[in-house]
Amino acid sequence: MSAPPRRLAPARRRSGRAIGIWLIALLVALVATVQIRSQAEVEKSLVGIDTTTLAFLLDDLHRANDQLAAETSDLQQRKASLQGGGSAAADQELTAEANRMRAIEGLVPVHGPGIVMVIDASGLRALDLQDAVNNLSAAGAEAIAVNDRRVAAGVPILQSSSGVTIDGAPVLPPWTISAIGDANRLAEASDLMTQQMRSDRRVRIATYRVEAAVEIRAVITARPFVYAVGT
Amino acid sequence: MARNRVLGIFVVAAVALATGFLVAGQVKAQLLTPSNQVARYQALVRSVQDLEKTNESSRAKIASLRADIDRLEGAAAQQSASTQALKNEVADLRAHAGLTAVHGPGVEVDLGNGAPGPDQGGKTGYLINFQDVQDVVNLLFASGAEGVSVSGRRITPLSAFSGSAGQVVVDQGSPLVAPVKVLAIGDRNRMLAALDDPSALPDLRDRQVRFQIAVSVTGIPDVKLPASDSSLQIPHVSTP
Repeated sequence: MSAPPRRLAPARRRSGRAIGIWLIALLVALVATVQIRSQAEVEKSLVGIDTTTLAFLLDDLHRANDQLAAETSDLQQRKASLQGGGSAAADQELTAEANRMRAIEGLVPVHGPGIVMVIDASGLRALDLQDAVNNLSAAGAEAIAVNDRRVAAGVPILQSSSGVTIDGAPVLPPWTISAIGDANRLAEASDLMTQQMRSDRRVRIATYRVEAAVEIRAVITARPFVYAVGT
Repeated sequence: MARNRVLGIFVVAAVALATGFLVAGQVKAQLLTPSNQVARYQALVRSVQDLEKTNESSRAKIASLRADIDRLEGAAAQQSASTQALKNEVADLRAHAGLTAVHGPGVEVDLGNGAPGPDQGGKTGYLINFQDVQDVVNLLFASGAEGVSVSGRRITPLSAFSGSAGQVVVDQGSPLVAPVKVLAIGDRNRMLAALDDPSALPDLRDRQVRFQIAVSVTGIPDVKLPASDSSLQIPHVSTP
């Protein structure tokens, strides 16, 4: 009477083992799937913006925030001076501000450290000059002139049938670009720019020199607003 | 039989141990590298986000300080005619430098990313970049714009554009991404005609065809431009 259960026991054990193996296989498959999927997710999240771009962004933001901090500190000083000084202090602050604004807008001659770049080329267009000017502005140029023509954001650099014009006046090559600002940053940008330009077949000369005192005598003529009204 | 079973158990245990070590090693190698990458990446992203927050608050502080200074100068100008004359002169200079909010007739140019081409690989021609924005802004100024802003950032005489693929950095602001809205005040007809000229903005027009980059131009009767909240420091410039 006890024989049948003895015969059934190994069969039960076998099926138990089989279930165990299947469970382990299922677990392994589950873990592998989770692992593969999580790796795919990680890779997906990194698409679009790489760490090098982020590192450059960090560098730019650090520099931008330093400049904003310098501006904040300057404004705080001006505010403090105005708070305690009455109209004499206001006159002093306003005169200094007017001089600063005139220099920023290119209305007066300026001088300071910077670079002088010479580009001789045939076939360069207004867009090439705009890019060169923008690159120097992005490198912190505080005043720029091309062939003794003052340039600032808002001054039109255009292509005409006779070549490139700045504010309506033709600027024939070679272009001599003078820029005042942090000489190290400007030299770094100029180095890259001239290297790049020299690889262009149209460019015969692309050089720059750092100068302790770059002089920019050219000025922009102020134009009164016709359409814009203060709010 | 019993000895064989014990031996079998040991062999299975040894194989299981070796497999365990191999699997653990493999899992460690597979898991640690991405998790380190992710941690490094996340740390960089957090740093960028922190700096962007500082950037935002610094620019808000600059705007507030400039308003305070303007108010204090206004109060001083009420006490003296010469101060008032100086204040008026500075107000005009500040307006031209983009330090005053202005409004007037103008145009709105909206720039949106296109679709990546099938053969583009890692190239980013379908994204709006800083040179596109720079070209549009230059064209508007060349067409007589008296003031321009880019997605709320006012352009000043010292403004510069930079950025990497798909990112547009204006002055000291944090990066902008498309859609980018360029607003300009000036002669609407002249600006619209310049933007409509088929020879203008050649690169943008070419990519408009190749990647369906979105460029829309609208004339607006009253455009409002904010005052600049960027730095206008010129520490290296001296006047004679």
